[in-house]
Amino acid sequence: MWLAEDAPIRKRDLVLEKPFLNAPGTLGFAPDPHTMPFLEHLGAFVTDPISRGPRQPAGTRACLPFPGGFLLHSGWPNPGLRRAVARYQRAWAEADLPVIVHLLGENPPDLSEMVRDLEGLENVLALELGLPPDCSASTLKDYLDAAAGELPTVVSLAPEDLPPLLDTLIEQQLAAVHLQPPRGTLPDAQGQQISGRLYGPALFPLTLQTTQRLADSSLHQIAGGGVFTRAESQALLDAGAFAVSLDAVLWGITPIPLGDPPA
Amino acid sequence: MAYRTARLLEILQIGDRIGGILDLPEAALPAPGQYLPVQHLATEAEILTRPLFRVISPAGRPALGPLPTHWAAGDSLACLPAHGRGFDLPGSARRVGLLALVGQPLRVLPLVAQALAQKASVALFFDHPLHPDLRERVPASVEISPTTALVDNLDWPDFMALEVDRENLPALDGLLGEAPLSFSGQVLVSTSMPCRGVGACGVCAVKTRHGWRQACTDGPVFPLKELLHVAG
Repeated sequence: MWLAEDAPIRKRDLVLEKPFLNAPGTLGFAPDPHTMPFLEHLGAFVTDPISRGPRQPAGTRACLPFPGGFLLHSGWPNPGLRRAVARYQRAWAEADLPVIVHLLGENPPDLSEMVRDLEGLENVLALELGLPPDCSASTLKDYLDAAAGELPTVVSLAPEDLPPLLDTLIEQQLAAVHLQPPRGTLPDAQGQQISGRLYGPALFPLTLQTTQRLADSSLHQIAGGGVFTRAESQALLDAGAFAVSLDAVLWGITPIPLGDPPA
Repeated sequence: MAYRTARLLEILQIGDRIGGILDLPEAALPAPGQYLPVQHLATEAEILTRPLFRVISPAGRPALGPLPTHWAAGDSLACLPAHGRGFDLPGSARRVGLLALVGQPLRVLPLVAQALAQKASVALFFDHPLHPDLRERVPASVEISPTTALVDNLDWPDFMALEVDRENLPALDGLLGEAPLSFSGQVLVSTSMPCRGVGACGVCAVKTRHGWRQACTDGPVFPLKELLHVAG
């Protein structure tokens, strides 16, 4: 169990048997052992982001490389929660690892409805909340109130989202925060400015610094962004993260930074 | 998914792109239109796999590409099995048209040998000058014409294989017109496929008559009728 031994275990705590999981948007909507041989090393599977209604791919979808990584912009296409549940709940239930469903929060009433739809689904361990851009502390509180229910709530944040929200996050006694890669902007081949998430080894120093800064708070932290080696994942665990989230490294072929958890 | 390690035996200059010959058995190579996800084993900076396609090559020596310019002969590469749906040239096709709305028609030209082997006439419709490296590998029996020649002779082919950048898909509507086509066809959609299907990341999404599909798993070759007159 990857919880501090002196902390009481609450109903809303997140308990992982192994200190690794995937970042949302990296492994699709359900675990597939045939294409994901590393699943046995993960403590949980995080779904791609799911909105209340279906979302189409962004018209400007792109993968733009830069030295040390790449920018990905997709628009988070997904079938919408009801269809996703119908399509994947059996795979979630039969998976060998627990599932965390990542919800794209678009407004609190919709989120509340989505949370109710997930409660009672077999093998769903927690819900993870993706916040709208430029979320304020008061908006965050509204979303967290809407997400309150039977399932532990993880809040998914990029490092740049943290400063204005940190106090509220601590007050709310979340199951965990899940650090995501930061956002950025690059021109595409036609000169159009494309904004999206940044992935790649160049991001690791930012992730480690954020993890270290959060270590003194009472937040349980899933650290992620730029992790490509086992030494990097270990450094995040040593810095206070209770789990490490892997992203683009899972799309590669060669061995990934997983292994036996530290004794 | 188990991967195979291959050595890059030889680099081939193909116009402004680079292809290579890998020490892989024929059974491990992608069919025309399919792709092989490949990652360089010694370069930490290479985060994502590269989709390598069968490209036109010297006779009897199957080549893959396009390769990045910094790969060199002797490099070790991790290769997954061939991914995606490739071209399926009908055995009955006797007038095969190839159309490329991309920089150079690297990935559609490997069909030439297959078409000629089944005694088909082959025409390449391409608006740019064919690079000399490609021209010398295209048999003399293949007629090379601008795309206007296809527009004027839409009743000629009984099968069309196309290679089109995703951004250029709407151009097919204007080129092939509104009238029902007398031929069947398949389109290789050229696009980034960063997650190679593992993540359903959506970057390679292609709009079809039956909704959104992923080039990495549902394609990258799609039936022409699925893509024509579909906005986006």
